[in-house]
Amino acid sequence: MTRGTTQVPPGVQCFVGDEARRRRAIEERVVAVFEGWDYEEIIPPLYDYADAFGGALSPRTYSFVGRDGALLALRPDFTSLLAKIAAGRLAHREPPIRLYYSGEVLRFEPPRAGRQNELHQMGLERLGGDARTADAEVVAIAAECLDAAGARDCVLALGHVGVFTGLTAGCGLAGVDVERLREALGRKDQGGVGELLREAGLSGEPAAGVRRLASLAGDARVLDEAERALAFCPSALQALAELKAVAAALQAAGLGARLSFDLAEVRGLDYYTGLVFRAYAPDLGFEVGGGGRYDRLLARFGRPMPAVGFMLGLDRLAALLERQENGEAPARPAAAEVKAEALGAALCEARSRRGRGERVRFEGGAS
Amino acid sequence: MSLAVALSKGKLFRGAGDRFRAAGLPFPDAEGRKLVVEQGELRFLFVKDVDVPTYVEHGIADCGIVGSDVLREADADVYEPLDLGFGRCRLAVARPQGAPAEPRHATLRVATKYPRLAAAHFLGQGRPAEFVKLSGSVELACVLGLADCIVDVVETGATLRENGLRVVETVLECSARLVVNRASYHARRDAVGPLLRALQAACAQEVGA
Repeated sequence: MTRGTTQVPPGVQCFVGDEARRRRAIEERVVAVFEGWDYEEIIPPLYDYADAFGGALSPRTYSFVGRDGALLALRPDFTSLLAKIAAGRLAHREPPIRLYYSGEVLRFEPPRAGRQNELHQMGLERLGGDARTADAEVVAIAAECLDAAGARDCVLALGHVGVFTGLTAGCGLAGVDVERLREALGRKDQGGVGELLREAGLSGEPAAGVRRLASLAGDARVLDEAERALAFCPSALQALAELKAVAAALQAAGLGARLSFDLAEVRGLDYYTGLVFRAYAPDLGFEVGGGGRYDRLLARFGRPMPAVGFMLGLDRLAALLERQENGEAPARPAAAEVKAEALGAALCEARSRRGRGERVRFEGGAS
Repeated sequence: MSLAVALSKGKLFRGAGDRFRAAGLPFPDAEGRKLVVEQGELRFLFVKDVDVPTYVEHGIADCGIVGSDVLREADADVYEPLDLGFGRCRLAVARPQGAPAEPRHATLRVATKYPRLAAAHFLGQGRPAEFVKLSGSVELACVLGLADCIVDVVETGATLRENGLRVVETVLECSARLVVNRASYHARRDAVGPLLRALQAACAQEVGA
């Protein structure tokens, strides 16, 4: 099929005027919260060696061969770049290292609700330091960002991947079985989970525990229920204790009503190692953002260090605010029209008005 | 705020009505041509069955009722917390009766309404195949020589027999599922939770009966 000269490729975005101003205003409000918690901005490179972006995202990166023959990739996320920079350029810095970013990432996405190939992420990473402190802090910051942006009725769904990994470790399950179990559990497909467990020949308490995870979601009572149901598994209990500690701190800080718990939140298992959370709102069908603890990532760059972070999608936040009719673009100020007989005189007047900080619309010399 | 439920007026409609009524939930009748029907606290959206996962994934519907065949083919990012236990059938590979065990050519030609699941089945087993996407009367593809075999939903097998086909492999056992939008599940817990529990109880009762 022939392509017209104005056709754009699928998955790209373009914002003009009011839309751009609206997004910029949201970005500024969120970034002000990051700054308010004393995080430092980092502007990482747009591309890097492709092997910096390993893991689940690698099949979705746009990669290309550099002039020297090295395989490069456009950044599909910020976290791996920040980890690499923390291990390299910032190697001398004492933890905790607090960094935030706001910018575009590129990844190939099959057409799906709320996904583009080009998206703007705003997020932060807290590298090193006490884990529970860091976990509680980033969830609290996420909640403040949503408030500051003007989003209403957001719920933060908290989970801990250690519950699932604790239950399945030492059961003699093959990696492919664990992966299929994880997928079924991520869909809350309790029947499917049961079937996979039977096929894998797993029975008894661990099997009952994994099956139970599919329905362990709701308010804080879920955590007590889980403790009773998984009492046989010390590593799952350890994970639950960590989650409870974070939840207790957030409740003490007045965020209890905003929390929801979901022990079947097991996406990104190859990456996350502890707390995971997602932000949802009733007016948007998909999450606004999310994050979690990833204690293994920095070791890949030679500086093993625990870490936690989260990001919000600017595109999704803008869509949410629009649906909640709360994302008004700041009004465009009126500009003084500058026009004169001669071009030189017009330009002179325009420059002097600009010197006084006025907004001018330059029409030039009358013809 | 009311919950929106997406469903089709197709083969799962009657079973869905039985489950909703057993759970003490309102349910519309099939009469009328309105595509959006309010009943008590629920808003029913009548859409084509293949579109149910899409409406739920985008959050236009908070939940939906759809067969697991359609759901797996759509590969939608939704929760499916409940197997409703009706609409049981299987997605199967069928070939003409008396066809040779091996196709004449190395690459099998497969006609189906489920190209994603068919590809996962054949390619997953290391069997090269080419897929022809059709929208209906898939059996005809074999009869007329468009394909070597078909992948389609089989309930009683009568249609296959009448067209000289027989099932040779099962791809997937299917049944009706309740699907829930991810955001609704968490952010509308107060409305989704009771609906889910009522349907769960109704399904447990059905199994017990």
